[in-house]
Amino acid sequence: MLDSTVPVVEYSRYSNRQLAAVPIALLALSLLVIAGMWVATGTPVDPGIDFTGGTELQIQTDAPRGEIVAAFETEPVSIQSIATQEGEYIVTFQSTDTGAIEQQATEAGFTVTSISSTSAAFGAETQYQAVVGVAIAFVGMSVLVALMFRTFVPSIAVVLSAFSDIVIPVALMNLFGIQLSLGTVAALLMLIGYSVDSDLLLNNHVLRRRGDFYESTHRAMRTGITMTVTSILAMLVMTSVATLFAIPLLPAIGIVLVFGLLADLMNTYLLNVSLLRWYKYEGVGR
Amino acid sequence: MSALDLVRKHWRISLLVVLVAISAVVLFAPGFGPDDAGGEPTADTGPTNLQFGLELSGGTRIRAPLAGLTAEGLDVQAGQETEIESQVAEELGISVRNVNAYPGEPEVEDDGTIEITTETVTEEEFLAALRASNYDVEEGDVRRGVTEDTVDDAVEVLEEKISRSPFAAGEVRKSTSSTGEHFVVIEVPGEDRETVIDLIEDRGFVQVYAHHPTEVGYENTTAIQPDDINSIGEPTDEPPYGPHISITLNEAGAEDFSRVMQETGFTQEGVESCRWDQNRDDPGYCLLTVVDGEVVYSASLGESLAASIESGAYVDDPRFVMSGESIEDVRQLRINLLAGETPAPLDIEAGTQYYLEPSLADDFKLYSLITGFVAVVAVAGAVAFRYSRPRIAGPMILTAAAEVFLLLGFAAAVGYPLDLAAIAGFIAVVGTGVDDLIIIADEILQEGDVSTGRVFESRFRKAFWVIGAAAATTIIAMSPLAFLSLGDLTGFALFTIVGVLIGVLVTRPAYGDVLRVLLTTDR
Repeated sequence: MLDSTVPVVEYSRYSNRQLAAVPIALLALSLLVIAGMWVATGTPVDPGIDFTGGTELQIQTDAPRGEIVAAFETEPVSIQSIATQEGEYIVTFQSTDTGAIEQQATEAGFTVTSISSTSAAFGAETQYQAVVGVAIAFVGMSVLVALMFRTFVPSIAVVLSAFSDIVIPVALMNLFGIQLSLGTVAALLMLIGYSVDSDLLLNNHVLRRRGDFYESTHRAMRTGITMTVTSILAMLVMTSVATLFAIPLLPAIGIVLVFGLLADLMNTYLLNVSLLRWYKYEGVGR
Repeated sequence: MSALDLVRKHWRISLLVVLVAISAVVLFAPGFGPDDAGGEPTADTGPTNLQFGLELSGGTRIRAPLAGLTAEGLDVQAGQETEIESQVAEELGISVRNVNAYPGEPEVEDDGTIEITTETVTEEEFLAALRASNYDVEEGDVRRGVTEDTVDDAVEVLEEKISRSPFAAGEVRKSTSSTGEHFVVIEVPGEDRETVIDLIEDRGFVQVYAHHPTEVGYENTTAIQPDDINSIGEPTDEPPYGPHISITLNEAGAEDFSRVMQETGFTQEGVESCRWDQNRDDPGYCLLTVVDGEVVYSASLGESLAASIESGAYVDDPRFVMSGESIEDVRQLRINLLAGETPAPLDIEAGTQYYLEPSLADDFKLYSLITGFVAVVAVAGAVAFRYSRPRIAGPMILTAAAEVFLLLGFAAAVGYPLDLAAIAGFIAVVGTGVDDLIIIADEILQEGDVSTGRVFESRFRKAFWVIGAAAATTIIAMSPLAFLSLGDLTGFALFTIVGVLIGVLVTRPAYGDVLRVLLTTDR
């Protein structure tokens, strides 16, 4: 009746240490990447203009790149061309003198299709709120998980997985040069909710059902992997279609969720499983 | 079994069907469309009653704090406000209009507030002026920004300005950050940044000065203030005045105006003698139209008007023509006169600005719809592949679609303007929704037939524990976004939370019921 699209992992062949080694190593590596970024640039991730303040202009022009730079009195921080739309560029400035920038663009004959600007003070405030928001969400989730399981190790397993599910995408954002924007913060918050699903499912099957550990794990995996793979698929499709159409915000949310859900597959079925097995066979008696 | 019994037995499915029907009505039936407080229809919403935010309809959004300074915890006795205001204004050398004193609660000691509503005063100057007025204040007692009351007033004035403007449609609201800082958010669909900024940038305090020579040089005497005006006509461009509006003064205003004109000599030697454009140092007798301290137009007092003031007939027919350089100028004058002065200047540079061209927004609208649709198709494909039985996969896909439909109905019902963040929220809801349906399906389909209702109920309840727990964590994770007013992501958080709630309370239980019907009659 149920097909075999989900692989069967022979957990019994590996020790807990072996299982946990890969996710722990990746988590450590990710933290290293973030720390390195922090030391090198002063911030753990590259903040976009939502947080630093600045002006972003989307323009339409036949002019080559060099002329775009020359048209503005203040030097742009970056000029990105939109892959699918010819002659469309997104030009970013640190300056928030939006009126002057818009005027220079119009005078140079560019068609301004979109403007977005944030003052440095407002950006700093947003950054503070984003940090507080992620912290509140994470602590709230941790408390809720602890209340649901009322035991230390299974709760910690879920919280640790969720932590890693956020840290790994942030490290990947650094590696791929994706800026932190309001959209990616939203995606990180969403990950807290999304990634816990499969961990809850696994813990629930192992702790609250009768039956053998491996069988329970296998059942949970069959459901959980379907869930996560379906979500990854949805996000992958959203990211690629939105990128193709040059829709803002959606690709950033999508790609971070894909990173996080991939990390979640690994964390749930390697890290969380090993912690649960340790708890079930060795930890309970203590 | 009667129809009623059937409904009662499958109440979860019935509830879903009823809600889907309600959503359809709210979404498509005319009469449920959004309208503003005045009852006028706002922007065209297309075939549905859905409203679209700026990111999907185009237009301009300005978010800005009001400039000013506020000192709280001062002793301001009720009844003394005017005295304190004029004392502080005099110390600072600013107009008394830009100083507000509020007494606060009478029982509480030192609950008064004094605020400055202009950007020209520094914190040090304000502190010095307060000390000179016998207030014992220290450096930390003065904060930047104005009081909440002033922000509320500003929102009202700006709303009025927008509703009086040629584009009429627009929204103004207050938003408060987690640190308590207030911002005014102005959204005008379809208009570009410059047009909107031109409308709202100036505070718009309109006065007419009588600029006239005296023995000690030129002096300005206030001839007409906004309080003096009874009614204002439509802007017109007709000879002999050119672009102008015709205003009617009230009785007190007409008397004041007549008195000033006679006392300053306008009705005698001053008739038709303004040379402002030629010689500003010695312009003669000029009526200057001044907005926020800047002269926007100059005119002489005409002969017939002078005669009517002299004879005393003017008070019976107190009309005054206010001219401008262009019809746009006059229109702006009229808006400023009707809406009044913004109580404090907008500090546009200190906030955020956003503009999107309407045609690009239309593209985004269509493309994000396609994106959402393709994502749903991808999910449907994955589900169909995993559960090859149409009896499981079919209802699953339908249920997920119903969830999105209900969410759209919710958006239309509350008139929430959809933006890109909300669309992302929709797609996220499809993702979590299908996740939960997979949990239900797997739990119910585990080995052993679902032969009786009891077995079904017990499996369903087990599945629901995980679903409920997962929903609770998602809601907790999203709530900071919804309540912290974090930028423009409220839509994402709101729709994810509402979507999860709709899912847990309505659609996912209904899916369980559908499975029960399909599986227990399967033999």
